[in-house]
Amino acid sequence: MSKETIEKVNSFLSFNLGEEEFAAHVSKVLNILEMTKITEVPKSPEYMKGVINLRGTVLPVVDTRIKFGMTPTEYTTNTCIIVMEVNIEGDEVQVGALVDSVQAVLEIADNQIQPSPGIGSKYKSDFIYGMAKIDEKFIMLLDMDKVFSVDEVVLVKEKTQEGEKKIENKE
Amino acid sequence: MNIDKFRSKFLEEAAEKTENLEQSLLALENDAENKEIIESVFRDMHSLKGGGAMFGFAKLSEFTHDLENIYDLVRNGKLKITRNLLDVTLASVDHLKTLLSDPDLSSQQTKNRHTELVVQIKKIIDDDNKNNIREEKGEYEKESSGIRSYYIYFEPNDYIFNDGTNPLFLIDELHGLGDCKVFSHFNKVPDSENIDITRCYVYWEAILATSEDVNSISDVFIFVEDDCKLEINEIVDHNIVQNENIMQEISNLALSKNDVGLLEIQTIIKKYAEQKISDEQVDDVSKRFTNAPSVKENIISSIRVSSIKLDNLMNLVSELVTTQARLSLYAENSGSSELVSIAENVQKITRQLRDNAFDIVLVPIETMLTRFQRLVRDLSNELNKSVKFIAEGAETELDKTIIETLTDPLLHILRNCIDHGIESPDERIKSGKPEQGTILLKAYYSGTNVHIKIKDDGAGIDPEKIRLKGVEKGLISKDAELSRKEIFDLLFEPGFSTAKNVTDVSGRGVGMDVVKRKLAEVRGEVEVDSEINEGTTITIKLPLTLSIIDGLLVKISDNHYIIPLSVVGKIYSTDQESVVNKFNNLIVLDGERIPFYYLREEFNLPNNKEEHEQIIVVSYEDKKIGIVVDEVVGEYQAVLKALGKLFKNQEIISGATILGDGTVALVMDTNKMILQFSKDNLKTESK
Repeated sequence: MSKETIEKVNSFLSFNLGEEEFAAHVSKVLNILEMTKITEVPKSPEYMKGVINLRGTVLPVVDTRIKFGMTPTEYTTNTCIIVMEVNIEGDEVQVGALVDSVQAVLEIADNQIQPSPGIGSKYKSDFIYGMAKIDEKFIMLLDMDKVFSVDEVVLVKEKTQEGEKKIENKE
Repeated sequence: MNIDKFRSKFLEEAAEKTENLEQSLLALENDAENKEIIESVFRDMHSLKGGGAMFGFAKLSEFTHDLENIYDLVRNGKLKITRNLLDVTLASVDHLKTLLSDPDLSSQQTKNRHTELVVQIKKIIDDDNKNNIREEKGEYEKESSGIRSYYIYFEPNDYIFNDGTNPLFLIDELHGLGDCKVFSHFNKVPDSENIDITRCYVYWEAILATSEDVNSISDVFIFVEDDCKLEINEIVDHNIVQNENIMQEISNLALSKNDVGLLEIQTIIKKYAEQKISDEQVDDVSKRFTNAPSVKENIISSIRVSSIKLDNLMNLVSELVTTQARLSLYAENSGSSELVSIAENVQKITRQLRDNAFDIVLVPIETMLTRFQRLVRDLSNELNKSVKFIAEGAETELDKTIIETLTDPLLHILRNCIDHGIESPDERIKSGKPEQGTILLKAYYSGTNVHIKIKDDGAGIDPEKIRLKGVEKGLISKDAELSRKEIFDLLFEPGFSTAKNVTDVSGRGVGMDVVKRKLAEVRGEVEVDSEINEGTTITIKLPLTLSIIDGLLVKISDNHYIIPLSVVGKIYSTDQESVVNKFNNLIVLDGERIPFYYLREEFNLPNNKEEHEQIIVVSYEDKKIGIVVDEVVGEYQAVLKALGKLFKNQEIISGATILGDGTVALVMDTNKMILQFSKDNLKTESK
């Protein structure tokens, strides 16, 4: 399938960061890897977890939780690295995103996607291009290009502390 | 394969041959007596000639033939290599390149150049012939030149003087037709008492090698035809006058026997012809042996593969190395000796495969140098400047594609150096510099980059002048505050040229901006720095998407790092006590106080549980700096891979490599690392 055709498909890969469920368009996803040893790169931002060997190429890995302003990922058997191809300043770059678990591939029709939340919501809308309600749950659809194009921590959530405490208690 | 394929093969080969020629000729300039180089020049010319004739490059073949003759003379010690000779041949080699792209001389300019050069070459040969008539020309002469040798017997009647004819004029005329050797016979001259000064007693035999036909020869004698005995016979279809041995034998005969006669000459020639054939056979056999390896080389070096394929190959090879390392590990643990031996075999083959794959993609910078030397030589002559060109680190290897893109920008920079940088000898003496200017090209690895520095000791560039010019051209505002670097960067702005007079050689306002753009194509960067009167340094930084370095594999905590071996001086053992929480971070090694950095501390890692530490002394600029690591693992040949855009702010790590067990090791750029550490420490101190 050519890239254009993939982009027209309404398939999304959903994954969890803590309790929240996010999804990325499948055209961005290349691969899902099991957790493996990550080589840390000294003196790099905290969310840059390090690099791994992906079939002979060096793949940078981002701790998505830190990038979104949560606590660092704790490794479990469900922890995965989603290999994505994102567009950063005009270049196609491969990057691994560390997530707590991968859920499913969802078909989400255009009419199911609601516009990104406005002011007052607890999510920063720049990186989210829509939300979908599936099985009574809200899934945030992420614009991966934008997420990885910014050097700072993205702070998807504004009330980070609160959210984190909740997750920690559950764990 | 059809003829076109052969033809393009020949073109590739010819390009290589001309390159070789150029290189050899430049070498000859310094070592004119070197027989090996002369031979190689001759050989290259000869194969160009042969190939040219075969693939329809008639002009090229003809032209090379003349050139070849010169070097045949040189090779036989009959002609000395002079500056003029080299100048003409170098120009001719350039012309050969033109001929390869324009075999039929379709442009008028090429045609003129062609004629001009042919004349010059002929002149060199003719000058030589005047000095030494009995020249032995190459055996190839006879194959293509259409020159025939004639035997002429001319005996004028004794009353020939009566009608005012001077037979010597006729002999002179024979000389005008070609190579001619005349034997005069005086045996019919009577004793001095009986001599009649109105009569002619002398007769002649001559051997004439000429491209003219029999008729033109007999035309010489047209007015005396009835007053003499004349015989003109063709002997052979090549030039025997130039064959020393034959001529020697004939002269001997002429001296001892008066008349030599046609028959006698033919026997002599036949005798030599037989000898030559046997010589040639020997030659052929030896040639076949000497040519074989060079042909093979040509095939290998002329394969062109897209870089994407090579990238894939390299990735697969490193994957294979990784997998193989795992296999070896597994085999060792399995306890099966058979499996171990298989794994060892796989390891051996993998290593060879890896080395080969590396070799394929990398080309040493050396391959460009010939062109640079040539440019420096020609241009400095033209501008009456004396310039020495030195290249350091020519063995530094780069991707072939990068080398190809690099050549033009570098040529341009060198041109600028010679034209604008290096002053004329007078000016140089006035400012107290040696008369001869120096251009240094220095290439070296710096992490995942290769740096190429071009440094001249010329006049330098005045930053103030650049600034004014920048204002004048409207590139910057009048009161803009610019750093030194920013000012020099103006040189790369389109339409910026500092030369007051536009010369032929460089500078038409296009130039440095093109250099910059060209280099950007291979993701290279360029920088200028200059001191007035000291010279200008241009630094080109090139990425190494595909390159290997020899590194030292070290371990810190759970991670492996690679330190380029080029900076490593010595490795010492030490213990934690002497390196942790030291106030001044100095350690005494071999009686020398050396500042050091404890990497665990710098990387914010907990202290080592082991007491034992190792300290690697690396060179940083001119200083020695110690780097403390947990453990030195050993030497490692690392395939460098970029960390990618997401780590673009990461300067102390210049890349990564994949180790045998599949994990990633980071390659340190110690220069930048030490620089950053020292900055960081200053900051903390000032707090």
